[in-house]
Amino acid sequence: MKGYLQIHDPLKPKGQVVGIDLGTTNSLVAAVVNGKPVCVPVDVDGALLLPSVVHYHQNGGVIVGRPAVEQLANHPTDVIKSVKRFMGKSLGDVETKKLGAYRFVPGTNGVVRFQVSGGQPVTPIEVSGEILRHLKRRAEGYFAAKVEQAVITVPAYFDDAQRQATKDAGRLAGIEVLRLLNEPTAAALAYGLDKGAQGLYAVYDLGGGTFDISILELVDGVFQVKAVGGDSALGGDDFDRAIVEKVLAARGITDPTPGQIAGLLQAARAAKERLTDADATTVDFEGHSFPVSRADFDAWIDPLLKKTGLAVKRALKDAGVTPADVKGVVLVGGSTRVPAVRRYVAELFGQEALHDIDPDQVVALGAAVQADLLTNEARKDEVLLLDVIPLSLGLETMGGIAEKIIPRNSPIPTAQAQIFTTFQDGQTGMDIHVVQGERELVKDCRSLANFRLSGIPPMAAGMGRVQVTFKVDADGILSVSAKELSTGVEQQITVKPTHGLTDEEIEQMLLDSIDHAEEDIRNRLLIEQQVEARRLLIDAAKQLEENGDLLAGDERRALEMSLSTLETLMKTTKDHEALKAAIHETDSLARPFVEKIMNRAIAKAAVGRRMEEFEGHATGRLP
Amino acid sequence: MDHFELFGLPRRVDVDVKALEQRFRELSMELHPDRLVGADARDRRIAAERTASLNEGVKILRDPVRRAFYLLKLKGVDVESEQAAAKLQMPMEFLEEIMERREALERVKAAKDLDEAHRMAAEIRSARDAALATARAALETDDVPAAAQALGRVRYYVRFLEEVDAFEEELMS
Repeated sequence: MKGYLQIHDPLKPKGQVVGIDLGTTNSLVAAVVNGKPVCVPVDVDGALLLPSVVHYHQNGGVIVGRPAVEQLANHPTDVIKSVKRFMGKSLGDVETKKLGAYRFVPGTNGVVRFQVSGGQPVTPIEVSGEILRHLKRRAEGYFAAKVEQAVITVPAYFDDAQRQATKDAGRLAGIEVLRLLNEPTAAALAYGLDKGAQGLYAVYDLGGGTFDISILELVDGVFQVKAVGGDSALGGDDFDRAIVEKVLAARGITDPTPGQIAGLLQAARAAKERLTDADATTVDFEGHSFPVSRADFDAWIDPLLKKTGLAVKRALKDAGVTPADVKGVVLVGGSTRVPAVRRYVAELFGQEALHDIDPDQVVALGAAVQADLLTNEARKDEVLLLDVIPLSLGLETMGGIAEKIIPRNSPIPTAQAQIFTTFQDGQTGMDIHVVQGERELVKDCRSLANFRLSGIPPMAAGMGRVQVTFKVDADGILSVSAKELSTGVEQQITVKPTHGLTDEEIEQMLLDSIDHAEEDIRNRLLIEQQVEARRLLIDAAKQLEENGDLLAGDERRALEMSLSTLETLMKTTKDHEALKAAIHETDSLARPFVEKIMNRAIAKAAVGRRMEEFEGHATGRLP
Repeated sequence: MDHFELFGLPRRVDVDVKALEQRFRELSMELHPDRLVGADARDRRIAAERTASLNEGVKILRDPVRRAFYLLKLKGVDVESEQAAAKLQMPMEFLEEIMERREALERVKAAKDLDEAHRMAAEIRSARDAALATARAALETDDVPAAAQALGRVRYYVRFLEEVDAFEEELMS
């Protein structure tokens, strides 16, 4: 019944599509409602910002958001914050050890795992998955509709491993990731569409844990990213840490406990926020009070700002432009509220930056716009995003040299092929080592994947020729194939980052999450049925109004009675099975009505639609 | 279909870059996989391949150096491939001059003297522009051997400039 009554565009996805800003510090969901992007309340008290903090309770429960933050000081190792910094990273990465409050356990492929109370160690992907699941559930409650498709934002500077990890987290949460969208691009989208702007824009995005700079050009509705740059391990958390280090040094503490670090970080963060408006404040720690002036703070973070300046200069150079060419600078990320940051950006570009959209919300709002553009047939022609890859992709060649196949800032999707020759007589195989990064030596680049092309017929050195093709899709994710040209022996892999999870591991996690989240599942099933019931009620009311004359008086009364019972049950029951049964009953009762409507419609079908479409809808979609 | 045909442009050394960019945007609007979110995997894959060709095409045609190399390649000489470049047999004095300059650059790099590197790059840039002008004139009159010789020089100059860029980047990071 719903298939026909609903008469929706087959391309239009079911449910609500959303944009998700999966941030280091906070995460947000937004969706386009009545043509405008709005953020959705996702935390307690209807807050729009959900702290990206997950508490693993000893009883096996998982809490996300502000309630988890409150447990931070008491359970420093069971409350995971800033998990985005660990995405796609291995235990060996230096960055991983910088914030030492966690108990790490090695996982397969060198994946970081956190040892937490109440169960198995968890990977960053799972922790992010919990955040996404929470966001999805809140958004579903808000819209009373399923949320199954989303655009998720990532820092432009995220490498292949980090992107893949983000996509996997979405999958764990039951979300189809329509697109991984670069955060600065999302921000520009939010600004650009609101203002109908044309010209060259820079987006300076300083979040909790990452810094991104993007140079974009907007012409005739086409957003062309000219260059991106940044540092995936630099953000407002480092400002907090700069304060913490000063306080620890002043107290003479060389070996702080995890509890001390966690407590101090919180105090430092609060002090930083006060310094946005105040000229001086204090950091209170273990009964002592440390005065911090804004001038002190500005001096402490100056080296961090200079690091962002270098990335900005490099991006401008890559884009082939000067600061004077830039028509507007957009500020993104909570850390751009810091006065010293604003001053520094104004100096870099010789102009005051735009900040009329809340810098915390702007990315999520842009992601919602993109989600809408991708799925809303009517808006498809408005705007197109042409993005680039942030880091060069290449291969290891003789002597440990990284040969670039696709240089950074190449527009995507893209495909590039290069031919390599054998270097030994009778060589029958070739090892292909895929790397990412700007440095000349392989050891300074990020290793993405290794594979071996075998089956090359024995030939003299230099005669065997292997063509290696790199393809990068619109999400910035790479696949590599290698082909021996004389025989056509071909091998293809989609690059699974060395520090990522295998498909099997993801599957297992999905199963595990079902095991210990029975309640989640029950809730989800209930919401699904509520959504179904609601649709049925709305569609039926509409059809009764338009085609009610097709029903005899008692038929109509019976259907109306059944609809009213269903409505009551939808509002009261917690039992999804009962609701499902009621939906089914009402649906069966409505079937003769649907057939009559269908006959009437087919009789009128001279206009536009083909007959099989009606049949397809009516038969294919009945429950 | 070659890059010129893709954008409906005549196969010439001079390209109206504004018109090219305009056509690129129009074609991207039509062919980008984002236009096909609801479509099946095959259509999307084809869209991605087409968009990849657009991206590659505009990159080459937008840039006068790449465009000249490409035009010569269409005329049968691929100066960018190692084997073909070896067959060019660049004049000895030119190769000696380049070697001297590269050695000088190595010394400048060792001394981390960015200003001197920039000064050398400026010289090389004007040499490149002169060689490119020669190549363009030769391409216009279809004098393939002369164009190949000139672009052979351009190739060395471009490599040199790339090295300066890489040096600058190492210094910055």
